[in-house]
This record gives sequence, structure tokens and C-alpha cells, in this order.
Amino acid sequence: MTETLPPRERVDPPAPRGPRLPDIPGPVETLGLAWRRLRKMSTALVLLFALALASVVATFVPQEPVIARTVELWRAGTAGPGAAWARVLDALSFFDVFGSWWFLAITAALFTSLTGCLFPRYRAFARVVRRPPAPGRGLDRLAHHEVLRTALPPTAALDAAETVLGRYRRRRVEAVDGVAQIAAERGHWREGGSLIFHTAFYLLLVGIVIGHSFGFTGQINVAEGSDFADTTVVYDQAKPGRFWDAGDHRGFVVRLDDFDVSYHPDFTPKDFVSTVTILEDGQEVRTTQVRVNHPLVYRGMKIFQARFGMAPRVVVRPAGGGDALFDDRVLLTQDGPFWVGRAKVSAGNPSPGDGRDPVPQIALDLALVPDAAIVDGELRINSPEPRNPRLAASLYAGQDLGLGRPEPISSLEFPQSDLVGQAMLTPGGSADLANGLLTVEFPELDQWSGFQVSHAPGRRVLLVAGMLVLVGLIPSLYSYRRRLWVEARRDGERTDVVLAGVALQRQTAFADEFAEVRDTLEAALAGPAPLRHAPAVPTPQKETRR
Amino acid sequence: MPNETLAQTSNTLFNIAFVTYIVAMVAYFFRLAFTRVSVAGVTSSTVTGTRIGLVGTALAVAGLALHLVSFVARGVAADRMPWGNMYEYSSGMALLVVAVGLVVVQRRFGYGHLMGFLLAAAVLMMTSGLLLFAEAGPLVPALNSYWIRIHTSSMMVASSIFIVGFAATALYLVKDTGERRVAASGGDSYTGSTVGAARLTPVEPDARPEGYEADGALAVSVASPLAQREVLSPVLFPLVPGVIAALFTLLVWRAPVAAIIAGSVAALLGTAAWYAVPYLPPAAKLDNLAYRTIAFAFPIWTFGVMTGAIWAEETWGRYWGWDPKETGSFFTWVLYAAYLHARSTHGWRGRKAAWVAVVAFFALMITFYVVNLFIVGLHSYAGPGLV
Repeated sequence: MTETLPPRERVDPPAPRGPRLPDIPGPVETLGLAWRRLRKMSTALVLLFALALASVVATFVPQEPVIARTVELWRAGTAGPGAAWARVLDALSFFDVFGSWWFLAITAALFTSLTGCLFPRYRAFARVVRRPPAPGRGLDRLAHHEVLRTALPPTAALDAAETVLGRYRRRRVEAVDGVAQIAAERGHWREGGSLIFHTAFYLLLVGIVIGHSFGFTGQINVAEGSDFADTTVVYDQAKPGRFWDAGDHRGFVVRLDDFDVSYHPDFTPKDFVSTVTILEDGQEVRTTQVRVNHPLVYRGMKIFQARFGMAPRVVVRPAGGGDALFDDRVLLTQDGPFWVGRAKVSAGNPSPGDGRDPVPQIALDLALVPDAAIVDGELRINSPEPRNPRLAASLYAGQDLGLGRPEPISSLEFPQSDLVGQAMLTPGGSADLANGLLTVEFPELDQWSGFQVSHAPGRRVLLVAGMLVLVGLIPSLYSYRRRLWVEARRDGERTDVVLAGVALQRQTAFADEFAEVRDTLEAALAGPAPLRHAPAVPTPQKETRR
Repeated sequence: MPNETLAQTSNTLFNIAFVTYIVAMVAYFFRLAFTRVSVAGVTSSTVTGTRIGLVGTALAVAGLALHLVSFVARGVAADRMPWGNMYEYSSGMALLVVAVGLVVVQRRFGYGHLMGFLLAAAVLMMTSGLLLFAEAGPLVPALNSYWIRIHTSSMMVASSIFIVGFAATALYLVKDTGERRVAASGGDSYTGSTVGAARLTPVEPDARPEGYEADGALAVSVASPLAQREVLSPVLFPLVPGVIAALFTLLVWRAPVAAIIAGSVAALLGTAAWYAVPYLPPAAKLDNLAYRTIAFAFPIWTFGVMTGAIWAEETWGRYWGWDPKETGSFFTWVLYAAYLHARSTHGWRGRKAAWVAVVAFFALMITFYVVNLFIVGLHSYAGPGLV
């Protein structure tokens, strides 16, 4: 943050030395001390290391917001260093480093330190930029220093020098001893760029805060032919920002018309595409494709293609006809080569009244193989494409399968005694299960598509901040402050032109630049008609280091 | 679809380039034995030395050409940019390290004696690539975006320049140690003008160490640079890199044989570094080279992280999610930023800053190898898929 400025621009004067009584600092002094300490570059460095260390921890310890499942395993002790260590990690909030108070504290300290550094620098920079280039004295003492001789009078020589120094900020001054001089300087972009770079981080912070406060992210899986409305309740995992509320949802409906997945010969997915229609108040507004890397943007909401899976339509009805107890597409998730899932067929009713028998809870446990073949009595999986699907359906019925509990159906344990029938179905097939009381049908196999729906305000702010970071960073590393002086002094018939320069950074680059300026100046001083008859004046040879 | 013949040609050329680099590296190191170094630190080779040096350069250039053809052929065979998995990315990094070494370090800066180390770095990269070899094939849908050209290539370019920067930093630390110890043992004969940037206290505003270079011709040092070798331990130099490389290989690939080979190679390199100390450019110049390379790569890395965020926004619907790879690129960025800041801070410049650069480089290696191979995140597409 505070790059070392030339000594006279440095902010903190060294503390006076000498024997002093030990002071006990009061609260104001303590604050002042802390502030000065925080503003120091070495403090900023330590804070940067702390930031890096925190991220290293977050790389090796699973992070709850990223992979919650692994964190659960670590806590249970089935993975990672064991449950006892997991408790220690939990106490230190190592499972959520970036949401922890100490990470926030590091970030806050860094920004405070940055602020403390930047404000004096803004002031100093404004002062330095406004100040015209200072005249130089004792030019022949500088490391880069050349004397050129010309037949031009001093004024003309300096005019020529001004054209050579066209890209420098410059001014003509009368030096103390009455000799005319051009003072020129360049390279304010170094400090200016550095200030832009560092200031851009505030903007970055603003963008992030806007995104976190007013943004929304939700996940939703939907089967082909079904739809969902952009409302608070539909999303599986919703992460609303602090100031996002139900009214901010747009309420439009997204219908999944079709889903397609294509595979490479090695059965890795090549591309997956959802064809969706957006409806507003029942009217179709737009039909478009959503694919990976090509999200759909509608009314400020971005809809991303995220996941996909198999969605067999399953119907359960009393044997011999009658109203279906269950008729829906079941979204199956991948488990190795299988697609598995469960469906709640009937929530049951222990006391229906009217003296009728209690209705049991009924659930279906499904496993699907998209392309199966039976070779030598063994099940073989040929491909992930649904060319020859087989659906294994297990029907459970019991007084308490746990369907009334709040936990998800996939994590329930169904007792083996409640298994009332199993069947292997092909599309269009059906089977009578539960002693012929219920018929399970598998009319067709569809697919489901998973979307992420998000609203991320502040992205433009972030983009601008990112550009400013780069725009500032490059000159802050490559530009360098340098000053050049050209002095012309009449010496009888001729004029002695002194070129001298000094660079605050990048000495090697400046040596090259100085040599170039010297050559151009020499050519310019020779004028349009070179002095053929001028006596050869030995220019002092200086070794130019390259 | 992958073109089998072209993919095969690419693999063959890769192997030939690999061997060529090794021979070139040996030539570069061998040249040192035919090089004299004067008290002023100026090196000059005997006729044999010059010839060996020419052979080394010719081989490095030839290897680079073959490697380039291999790299391009791989891309044509797979019908995409050739940086879709860790093998290809390692190959690209090695290619760029050699190219930067030849063009910038050897030609522009004139530090030919550093090339042996850069070739060694390239060979190590290629070895790791071979251990992670994957056939030329298509990419998973998430990678199928034009951002892979921008994001992944910037990360690859920046990483390879960081590798060059690391080589310069490590050699700076070695050379600086040698210079300091000689200075310490030389007593009064030492004037301080050859010691690296660490020792320099600026006396006037324009004598700031960033561009400071010890001027070999003006250096008043009575001790011969060969003494710099005498003050360094010939045991520690092979031992430390050998153990680090062996442990790293063991941890990453769990292959004891590979670990022994990597350890031995690193130990040989350590010995080479020990032997090469007198011939290296002065510490201050190495420090400057390290700074220039890292300062060049840092904006590219910054750009890469930003384009990565833009791509993530497009693919995963969020620009930053602290996925392990994102976190890795972040701490690498923070540490290199810390290096650049340390370099302009009193009490940090010189050796301390160099150690920050070393730590930053290890962070880079962790981000590339450890995060990709061991930590489950969005960037791990079934094995060493994405970098």
C-alpha cells in the first residue's frame, strides 16, 4: 500500500530519539498508535499473509458452503482427521473460513490499513501532479549527464530540446545563475496507476456487498413437460440476499418442453440442452434453449443449465382400475450407473373414520438402468443413454414408513417387513404388486433438467472494478518517475547544452531512455543543416549500461 | 473426433523434445567446467566451452521447435485448444519456460548460465505431465467455451513466467548467501558493492534498489568468486531439493520409484546450483530478473483470475464461490501481491521479499497439483481433467 515515497514525501517523521521517561499512553494515544501501526506497510504485509493463510486452510479443510456433505462426514468422523479434530475445526470456524468473524476481521483490517495508506497518498499525489517540474541544480553531479555542443543560440537550442521532450511534462525556467533551463518529468502514472489499482478494491467490495445484499440464487429440478414459477417456495436451495424478499421474485413461469443430452463415444456427456418456454400470466412469451455456458436471461434473472437426470413417469392405482393414487414423474439421481429415487405414493391415514380400515403409508423405491442387457443371466449396462431402460420398482406399505417426518424421503430407512412387492418394468409395462391389490405402471421415460436461477446485481460494478485493477496495475509496475533537465549556456560562438536526468525507479530502462534522448537531442541540435565545418568536439564518453 | 495419427505424432515429438531438453541442459551445465571467472565476476569460456554452449543453445532451440509442433499437433488432433487437461497444460508451461528462457533470459538479459536451470524446470514440468498423461480427447461441456482460450491460456502463461521468476529467486538466494559469506570472511577487503539488494541502504532518493545493479566492473572484491562456492555446503545443496522433490512426488503420486528419481534429479540440480554459484550473475541482477519476471506475470495472473470469474459466472451462475481452485488462485495472487509490496518496503526487500516469492511459488504449485489431484471441487472433472 504505501509504496516507499521519496523521503520528503514520506508521511511519518522518525520519532525523536533521546532519553525519555516511559510514557503511559492514554486511550487517545493508544488509538493513535494503533492507527499508525495499522497504516504501516509491514502491517499490511502481515495482513496479506494472514489472508493467504486463511485461504490455504479453506483449501484443505472442506468448506460447508461449498461441499456440505464432506463437512458432515468430517464431523461424524468417517472422513478427515476424526470427530475430535472436527470439533476443534468447528470451534475455529475452519469449516466456513470465509464466513467466519476472523476472516471478516482480517479483511476489515486490510481495508482500514488500505484507507490509512491511500489518503495521505492521494494528497501527496495531487500535490506532486500539480507542481510544475522543478528546476535542477548541480546537473553535472547527476549520474546521467551529458554535454552537447551546438552552433544554435541558447533559445533555439532549448526550442529544439522542447520538441525532443515532447512527451514529457516540462517548463522553461530561468535558473538561479541566469542560465535558461527546461525541467521535464514523466512517469506520474506509476503512482497514479497504483492509486487506481488500490482504489478499485473499494469498488470491488461495493460490488460484492451489492451482490450479497440484493442478489438471489436458487436451484430447481424440473421434469420434461412440467414447469415451475419463480416464487419463494419452489426452489430447492435458495440463497436470498439480505435485502431480497418475496416481492422481488418475478413470478414468471418456466416450462421445460424438452431436454436433450448427447454423449461422446466414451459416454462422457458432450452437451446437454433444455428447451424452455417462458410464460407470463399463462401467455407464452419466449421459447429458447438453455445449455451449459449459455444461460437464459429474462427480466434480470439468469437461468443456467446445471444438472440433468432421468424422470420415469410412474402410476400407482388400485388393481382393476380406478383413480390413480399416484401419477407423476419421479426425479431420479445418479448413483454409479444407476438412477435412483423414491416417491411418496400415499401419506396414509391412521383413522379415516366411518369405521373404515386405516390406510397405510405407501412409498416407491425406484432404480433405473438406462440401457440394460442381460448377458449370461447378468445385468450389463451398455450406455448411459436411455435406449433400453429397465425400472426396478419396490413398493413399501406400512403403518409408519416415516413419510410424515420432516426429513427428506431419500434418507428414510424402510423396514424390510414393509416391502410388499418388487417388479422390473419396461416402458409401457405394468405389474400387480402387494398381493394383487395395487398396479404399478411405467408408461414412459422422460428426463429432468436442473437449473440454477439467479439474480446477481453488482456484476457491472465488479467488471468495472476488475478493469480498473488491471488499468492501474500495469502502469504501476511499468511506468517510472524520471526527471530530465536541459540547460543551454552560451560559450563564445557555441552553446553548451547540458542534458541530465535522474530516475526514481527502473534504472536500467532509464539508462536506455536517456541514451535515446541524448541521440535524438544531438540530432535535433545539429539542426536541418548539420554543422559540417564545426570543429570536432569530443563529447565526454560515458559508459551506458544496458 | 481425435485424430489418432496426429495424436501419436504429438506424443512422439513430445518425447523427442523431452530428451533434447535433457541433453541441452547437460550441455549448459557442462559448459560451466570450461568457463573461467575472474575476480571482477566476469565470466569467459574457453573455445571448448563456447562450442559446448553453442551446442546447448542449438539443442534447446531444436527441442523448442519440436515441442511447439507437438503442442500444436495435440490441439489439432483433439480439435480444440491444447490446454484441456493437466498433461497438455504442463507441456504448455514447459514450452513457455524454455521459450522465455531462450528469448528473455539468455538473449535479452544475457544470463546464459541460467538456461540449464530453466531447462531442468521444463523437464520436471514435462515429467509431471507424463505422469498425468491423458489421451487427446474432447472436453466436458462446462469446459466447452471460448473462455478456455482466454482464461486457461493466461493462467498457463503467467504460471510459466512465475516458474522463471522462481528460478531467478532461488538462484538469487543462493548467490546472495555466497556473496555475503565471502564478504563476511573477507573482512576489510570488502567494500560492500557486490552484495545483493538486501544489503543496500538507499542514501539518496535516486539510488533505490528496485533497478539497482551492482556494477561488476566497479566492484572491489579481493576474494575470487570461486570462494563463493567454498563457503556453501556441498552437502545441503543436493540434500534439501532432493528431499523436497522426493516428498512432493511421494505425496502427489504415491510412486516410490518416481520419488527416488525425482529426488535424485533434484539433488543433481542442487549440486549444479552449488557448482554454478560463481558463474551466476551478481545477486542484485538476479533479484532484478526475478522482480521483472514476476512483475510481468502478475498482471497476467490477475487477468486470468478475473476471466475465470467471468467464466464461472457464465457456467456455474456465480462469479466466485470459494471453490478450492478459486481459493488456490486467490492465495497465489495474494502472496505474489505481498511479494511485490515487500519489494518496496523497508526491512523487507532483498532476501525477505525473495522468501515471500518462494512461498508464493509453492502456493502456485499447490494450486496446480494438489488442488487438482486431491481436493474435490468444481474444477476436478473426473481426474486430472481441468487445470
